[in-house]
Amino acid sequence: MIKGYAGRVLEVDLQERSFAFEPLDEEIARLYIGGKGYGTRLLYDRTEAGIDPLGPANPLIFATGPLNGSVAPQSNRFAVVCKSPLTGGIGNATCGGSFAFGLKKAGIDVLVVTGSSEQPLRLEVDGDADEVRFLDASELWGKGTYETQRILGKGREHAVIGPAGENLVLYAGIVSNERIAGRTGVGAVMGSKRLKAVSVTGSRKLEMEDPDRFREYTKTVRATFKDHPVLGESMKRFGTAAIVNTTNGRNILPTRNFQKGHFDDAMKISGEWMEDHALKGVKTSCLHCPVTCGRDVEVEGKGRGKGPEYETLALLGSNLEIGDLDTVSEWNYHADDLGMDTISLGATLGFAMELGEKGMLESKLSFGDASGVTDLIHDIAHRRGLGNELANGTKRMAEKFGGAGFAPQVKGLELSAYDPRGSYAQGVEYATTNRGGCHVQGASMYLESVGPLTINPQNLKLKADLPIVQQNLACAINSMVLCIFTTYGIVPKLVHEMDPSSRPYRALAFLLENSGPLFRWAQSIKGSPMLWFEKWLTLITGIKFSSGHLQEIGARIFNLERMYNLREGLSAEHDTLPDRILHESTFEHLDSGHPLGELLPLYYKKRGWDSKGVPTARTLKRLQVEV
Amino acid sequence: MPVRIELTYDMGKLLGTQQVEVEAGSVAEAIAAARARFGEGGGDFDQLAKRTAIAVNGVLARHRERLATKLSEGDTVSFVKAAAGG
Ligand code: SF4
Repeated sequence: MIKGYAGRVLEVDLQERSFAFEPLDEEIARLYIGGKGYGTRLLYDRTEAGIDPLGPANPLIFATGPLNGSVAPQSNRFAVVCKSPLTGGIGNATCGGSFAFGLKKAGIDVLVVTGSSEQPLRLEVDGDADEVRFLDASELWGKGTYETQRILGKGREHAVIGPAGENLVLYAGIVSNERIAGRTGVGAVMGSKRLKAVSVTGSRKLEMEDPDRFREYTKTVRATFKDHPVLGESMKRFGTAAIVNTTNGRNILPTRNFQKGHFDDAMKISGEWMEDHALKGVKTSCLHCPVTCGRDVEVEGKGRGKGPEYETLALLGSNLEIGDLDTVSEWNYHADDLGMDTISLGATLGFAMELGEKGMLESKLSFGDASGVTDLIHDIAHRRGLGNELANGTKRMAEKFGGAGFAPQVKGLELSAYDPRGSYAQGVEYATTNRGGCHVQGASMYLESVGPLTINPQNLKLKADLPIVQQNLACAINSMVLCIFTTYGIVPKLVHEMDPSSRPYRALAFLLENSGPLFRWAQSIKGSPMLWFEKWLTLITGIKFSSGHLQEIGARIFNLERMYNLREGLSAEHDTLPDRILHESTFEHLDSGHPLGELLPLYYKKRGWDSKGVPTARTLKRLQVEV
Repeated sequence: MPVRIELTYDMGKLLGTQQVEVEAGSVAEAIAAARARFGEGGGDFDQLAKRTAIAVNGVLARHRERLATKLSEGDTVSFVKAAAGG
């Protein structure tokens, strides 16, 4: 077995209440690494087209990669893969916390859960005894994710769902500690199986090719992270909320259901405000991560809880015109405890507010008004009254009530908090990302509109190349499995220290913007490992990984996901953006919105797809994607 | 003409307000007017403005006419820091 892998796949059948430890497929591991890549390969191979995402035939796949269990910073993440009940296409999400570490300690690379149970169940996996216990979870059913984990206790690592997952809210997530695999409704799939929790334990050691050099090198990386302006400073001080004022200043902070990109009260929901007014000095992290981007906040009269992240602050804050950190923190707490994705939740609430405003939906909801929202969040999780409609997300709501043009979704997945009208490459990424309108499957906006070195986000230069490189890289990162925030460290400290109005800075930005295909070519060179995650992979597995290798593997995974989506009926017509984003301008110097029509054909061509967005036989052969 | 300036959080903390209205016809004038609010010689302004970009209604001045970018009544000029989120 390749080093870095435990070498085992645990197969659990809930219907039969049976389990088996099977050997990991080395060939798949070599081609797809692990995590999201390995999970996608299994999903594609094992399922028939058209299965019901909430039926027993949809496998729920928890997958780790060779970095998990290694104590490398940002490496305690697992991927969940299944067919998405929200989009009908590929479903996946990654999650921090400690569950990934637990799985590897139990000697498990991948856990595949199939079938479904009549009664609420929970699984206890003992990797040392090679045992899986199927336990009644009736007592836990209905409980929140925090209480559930408290009851399950210490000594095991847990992945659990809350009432949202139990009640099949289409954007329910799976929670480990305070972290959530939030997107695409993976929690609803777990709920459909009546599986409340998986707890793992074990004491196995991860075998590495060169453990001494790995240890030494990791020390260096930790020191570099500590000194890095993003990983060692801004994310530590402000978490992801550091970015609120930046997106607001760039007019891309979703406001009033994406009607605007600027919110006058943004400062009051910013990371800086949180640090000054609500932070209780406790920063939290996923296991072994020195970045500690999580935080504890105090909500007046309500106690302490997890501080909201950027996406939550934007979608539940500015998007609803709520400029009050306490209110957003409270909603964030409820959403996490009920086990649902705050991006889809906030976008759906914003959509419902606009529907109400236009007289298309009967409700008391309105922008800027927090009253009744806390109750509604609970109603969504329990599918009561109006909550039952909102539990289906914006696409299905638009089908029932109208308003498709301003439903903020792609392929059924609600858009994240970077308005693409001021970030064109991000828009291409939203339109083409296989799981739908998500930002962390590439994060082009970092090099385009918010990071330390950015290009002009509103012309066509690099806007088809950048998403491809970023999507490929994200596919590889999510297969190791590493936190995508690690990519923020790629821009060195030196660049952060440059004055954006200086000549050298402008020259660098000009070069990047005009690099076009050269940019992609440079990434595709199969040389020596340069970046920390390339070196970690190499030191752990003994297989050489460089940027070129990762781009190739990432492209392989991305194309396989694409083939899965095509098989499930998602095609080029779904590679789009909401009409509002395409046709309504939020910038006074522009008459229209995002120029997707000009960029998409270029993107397809550069991907090696035909004009209908189908990967050509040549592309699939070159990437060794078997379908 | 009257324009609105959005300061960075740290600038605003020092000044006791996050937004100021100033009279300015260009980005250069707007920056000078903001700087003047920090006292004679700009006080801590230069230090706080270091490594921030200037945006006019969300578009970076460096993608327009830089300091010479003309302003219209009601424009918002923002001091924007680079950042990373998720
Ligand atoms: S950077 Fe934040 S989200 Fe990523 S692994 Fe570290 S603590 Fe978790």
